[in-house]
Formats: sequence, C-alpha cells, structure tokens
Amino acid sequence: MFRRYLAIIFVSLVVGLLMVFQFRTTNQVEQTVPYDRAHELTVELRALAKERAGLEAEVKDLEAKLSRARQGYAQAEETIKTEIKETGVLAGVTPMVGPGVRVLVSSRETGTPQGTIFGVRDEDLLKIVNELRVAGAEVLSVNGQRIISTSEIRLAGKYINVNLKRITPPYEILAIGDPVALRSSLEIKGGVVETLREWGIDVNVKTLDRVIIPAYEGPFRYYYAHPVRKPA
Amino acid sequence: MRTIHFTVLLVTLFLGLLVAVQFRIHRDIERTVPIQRLKRLTAEVKAARAERDRLQAQVAELRSELDAATAQKGLDRLKRTLREYQLEAGMVAASGPGIEVVLNDSNTALQPGQNPNLYVLHDEDLLRVLNELKAAGAEVLAINGERLLSTSEVRCSGPTILVNKSKRLAAPFKITAIGDPDTMISALKMRGGVVDTLQQFWGIQVSIRKLTQVTVPAYAGSYSYLYARPYREVK
Repeated sequence: MFRRYLAIIFVSLVVGLLMVFQFRTTNQVEQTVPYDRAHELTVELRALAKERAGLEAEVKDLEAKLSRARQGYAQAEETIKTEIKETGVLAGVTPMVGPGVRVLVSSRETGTPQGTIFGVRDEDLLKIVNELRVAGAEVLSVNGQRIISTSEIRLAGKYINVNLKRITPPYEILAIGDPVALRSSLEIKGGVVETLREWGIDVNVKTLDRVIIPAYEGPFRYYYAHPVRKPA
Repeated sequence: MRTIHFTVLLVTLFLGLLVAVQFRIHRDIERTVPIQRLKRLTAEVKAARAERDRLQAQVAELRSELDAATAQKGLDRLKRTLREYQLEAGMVAASGPGIEVVLNDSNTALQPGQNPNLYVLHDEDLLRVLNELKAAGAEVLAINGERLLSTSEVRCSGPTILVNKSKRLAAPFKITAIGDPDTMISALKMRGGVVDTLQQFWGIQVSIRKLTQVTVPAYAGSYSYLYARPYREVK
C-alpha cells in the first residue's frame, strides 16, 4: 500500500513539473513573431542596401561631372554629351545585347478539333511581357519594337499596334535577363504558356546566350509633361 | 493490482500527450523569430530608408546643379535631348496636365456561391487600364506614387500588388497619368472599353478625375543592368 502511494506521488510530481514547463514554453511562443514577417524585412533591407550602393555611386559620378562642367564651355558640352549617352541607355535609344529568351507566339491552325478557338489577343502579349518583367527582364521588344515606359500593345482594327506601329503574327518577344528565370516564369505550371496552349495558341520559349534588341526608333513626344527639378 | 495497472496506463498516456505537444510547440518556436530581433530589424530598415531618401535628395540636388552649371546658350539642343531621356528613364519628377484614375475592389454584396475572386481587382485589370492610357498618349505614368518604367511589372501578391520589384501597394490603386486629359478619359470611358467592362460586370469601383496639374515623382529605385549591355555593331 505504501509503495503504491509513493509511486503516485512521484508520478504526480513529474506531471506537475512537465505542465509548468509546458506553460512557460507556450508563453514564450506568444512573444515571438512569424518567420515570414521577419523574412520580408530582411528582403527589404537587402534591396535597400543595393539601392544605396547604386545611389552612392551616382552621387560620386555626378560630383565629378559637376566639377568638370564648371571648368568651361567645352567641358560642359562634353559632360552633357556623356550624360546623354548614359541616360540614353536607360531610355531605350541604344540597342542592347545579352543573354535572354525568345518567345514565339502563334495561333495553331489545327490544334483543336474545332480549329483555333481564339486567335492571339493583345492581352496575351501584354501578359507575357508582364510575366517577363516580373522575372526581371531588363530589356524587351515585341516584333522588333523596343518596349519603353509608354509602349502600348493594343488591338487597333484588325492588327495589334506597338509604339503606334502595326505588327503581324507570328509574334516574337525578345527579353534580356536571366534566361532560366525568364523561361520558367512563363512555363510554370498554370502559367501563361499553359493557359494559352489550352486555347490553341502555340508558345515557344527558347533560352539564348545572345539576344540583340533594337533601339527605340520613334521620337519622344512630351507635349504635356515637363521635368520638375526641385527636390521634394 | 489491476487498479495499479490502470493508473499506470492512464498516466503514461497523459505523459505521452504532453511530450508530443511539447515537441510540436518547440518546432513552432524554431520557425518564429524573437521579438527583440524583429525590433532591431525594423529599426535597421527604417534607418536604411532614411539614408536612401537622403541620397535620393542629394542626387536630385546634384542634377539641378549640373543643369545650372551647363546653362550656356549653345547647349540648349543637347539639353533638350537629355531632358527627354531623363523623363523616359524616370530620373526626374514630371508635371503637367493629366488625369487620376482610382480603382477599388467591388462593393457589390456577394450572393452565396459567387466567386469573390471575380469581384476583386487583379493585376490584369490594372495592366489593361495602363495599356489603354499608353495607347491614348499618356506620357508619364505612376501607380500610388510609383513611377512606371519600361521594366515595371504589375503583380498580384495576395491582397496587395507588387510594382517595380519590391514596392508593395494596397488598394485603392491610384493611377496618375500626364498627357491629354480628354483623349485619355474618352479612351477609358469608351463603350465596351476597359472601364465599362470592369464596372458593368464586376462592379469594380472606378473614378476618373481630370487634373490641370499633376506631379509624378521620379523612379525611386536604382538602375542596374546585370545581363544587358549596349550593343555596338561590329563591322
């Protein structure tokens, strides 16, 4: 009888201890945050560090240009020309080269029993371009038309217009960037390519070591917008 | 003797349960981050943002100084070209007449069984509105103050939308466009057009405002090409 009580006392003691321990750990959990939130902040911090490095280099570069431009007319002219060249690369007036992908889009004639259900629409091309941008495409073109910030891809009458120029099928989209990332962004399961294929549209994505994308040819028309110089 | 067996069985069962719960909670803890660390991280992000803003202001300041330093007469034409490139590249803030389009999720009361996903704004809707504005001659565009470049994507990510890779925007989405206000408004409001479809079918709230003067900020990120480089034709 006595041994039985001893056993019960012992076990109760252990259970009690465990319960206290349990309670304290639960408390500890409440004082922590989900991993995702912290991860998001870490990603932002990394992006900010990159931006900062870029901006610091820009400050240095501009300071050098400024002191040079102040030396005289010839130097000022030269500085402006350098600035034009460098900014022109970002504005799309320079042809670019690099690794990337070529995406060919065309409607299949005999893809489905009832033939092509849908032809290629402007929206399909728009979606492909957006998907490539998400995957970090640096330079883009559609049928030889360089995509700039104001490029439309829009059905006008029977044809699709890009940069106010008519393009005709098959559609060829070129993108410079990480070839594997660009390709998988399109070919991911349930992605754009899969959807379009179900609709009887052929999409062929090919990674290339060297993609050459032409410059923007059209003029920049700024009738309404003008630059604001004052820093905010 | 039988009661003892029974007690032991019960106690062992309870012990096992406790150990299992303990183990799971412990695993949860490993997947979470202590509050102190998050606080430090938040402070760091805040400091980095302030530093970025300071550098950005400095760059803008240097640009206007350079502009002033090259104010000689003969450079007018070159500087006009530079200004155009800077506008296209989003390096400077821009201002002019234009419109403001505000889009928000549907306020239609859902019937049971209806798919709520259909009545929420999608990246595609924004893409189409932007494309329409571009076709109508918009010169400079931004969403919620984020300047749009040639590489700017619009991406749904849960209830928010990602723009310019790391910028997270939440509804309502405000698109600002500089250009001919009347052309842009009539392009959007066309019968069977983008806005018509969004409002009629899905009850998405769209409001368009004509503005005599609208300012679009400069691109806030940094420019870097990891893959592309200028192509020089080799003869």
